Amino acid sequence: MGNNAEMVDQRELLTLEHYLKQYGQQAEIFAGQLELMENGRMEALAAIEALQGISDADDGTVLLQIGGGASLRVKVLEPDKVLLNIGAEVIVERTNKDAVEFLKDRITEMEASEKKVVETLDRLRSQMNEITKRLEQGYQQAVQAEQQYSPPAHGEED
Amino acid sequence: MFSGLRERLQAARAKLGISIEATMTPQPLQETPSAVQSVVQNPGVFSEKPTFANKIKTLIIDRELIVSEKELSDALSELEITLLESDVALQVTDAIIAHVRTDLVGRHRKIGESVDGLVVGTLKGALLDVLGKGFDLTEYVRNHQRPVKILFTGVNGTGKTTTVAKIGFFLKKQGFTVVIGAGDTHRAGAIEQIEVHAERIGIKIIQHQQGADPSAVLFDTVQYASSHKIDVVLADTAGRFHTKANLMNQLEKIRRVMKPDLIVYVDEAVAGNDAVVRAAEFDKTVGADAVILTKADMDSRGGAAISIAHTIGKPLMFLGTGQAYDDIMPFSPNQMVEDLLGDT
Repeated sequence: MGNNAEMVDQRELLTLEHYLKQYGQQAEIFAGQLELMENGRMEALAAIEALQGISDADDGTVLLQIGGGASLRVKVLEPDKVLLNIGAEVIVERTNKDAVEFLKDRITEMEASEKKVVETLDRLRSQMNEITKRLEQGYQQAVQAEQQYSPPAHGEED
Repeated sequence: MFSGLRERLQAARAKLGISIEATMTPQPLQETPSAVQSVVQNPGVFSEKPTFANKIKTLIIDRELIVSEKELSDALSELEITLLESDVALQVTDAIIAHVRTDLVGRHRKIGESVDGLVVGTLKGALLDVLGKGFDLTEYVRNHQRPVKILFTGVNGTGKTTTVAKIGFFLKKQGFTVVIGAGDTHRAGAIEQIEVHAERIGIKIIQHQQGADPSAVLFDTVQYASSHKIDVVLADTAGRFHTKANLMNQLEKIRRVMKPDLIVYVDEAVAGNDAVVRAAEFDKTVGADAVILTKADMDSRGGAAISIAHTIGKPLMFLGTGQAYDDIMPFSPNQMVEDLLGDT
């Protein structure tokens, strides 16, 4: 049986460290993408809420937040005519109800995409955990090997 | 992949089928028929205004019907919205609608013939028209003087470096020898990243230090390939936006120095129309011979994949479909159309 020092391949540890770093970078990119998707989903939800609020307002008067906690009472001229970017930078006019439906569909689509990104992230994390485990084992073996073969310290001899 | 687009196209297919089915129900002969006009023979040829006698002959004897535009207008409008909602570029949407309209309106059909077959055939034709022919890299490398130099460009964070590794793996599997040039000397960790990839797939890499001139790295890579009779040079570069003039000038310099045979633009399918716009900009500034779309497995809309070839006039070469090295598929228009409109 070879000694522990032989079993711990320093190059393998280095490669594993590289892999870990690389997976980490990929995970970062996907996490960023997930955040973007989530922001888009939240924005769509807010738009739905606003459209429904405008639709429910009897005289078309709503509060328009202009930032800094300030709001204005505004009257929406045509609450049932919504200009909607449907994709490919094309904007069409839809009724309030149709616009809400469209946004709901888009949310469903985004949720499905988010799910796929989360799955990929989970896979990456599981691979990262695997590599971390192997790295820890390697380090432990290296430490043990060092302890085993280091010369005895002064004062230990009788 | 592209599941949302598939669902929408299947719905559009059904709607078109219903519209045509309605027109194909034999109507009582009238002078001003709206849904069905009787026709003379020779499918695809518009006849002169049909006479009463012709109508009787066509409907009773030939048992043929012709679809008019009026009946299709609703279905075509719906198809148009469907495509736009899937982020298919406006000009591509227009091209598809025009194809479908031209193909279906005035089409002669025997009574009892499959309507669905007609619709699917038309939609497939329209999509194939805009998807182009794809780009067979294997064939290109086989028929080109070695080393074939391929320069990869694109914006940041789209998976360019991973794509270079995947293409290297793909070409190696096809029996070619490959060398990678680590031309992304700008991003921290990029050289290490491509080095790890190269090691894992068993491909030689030429690299300088971080911050070095990428043109020099790639020049050395080409020299190495020439002296070692390597088949293909894959040149990685730093991601950049087309609006950054200094970085685009650097890319121009790389192009002058390494004289690539192919410039491949890499972007992510999930970027949708943005990817199409960016590809067009890159094509204008440094040129592009083909496009690779990454993360296609996460793209439900498919707009970029449908639009990019028609919009910039350059073929789609590969689709990235996952994290593993073999998660890359040569783009096949027929396969894609089959996936979108097939029955399975």
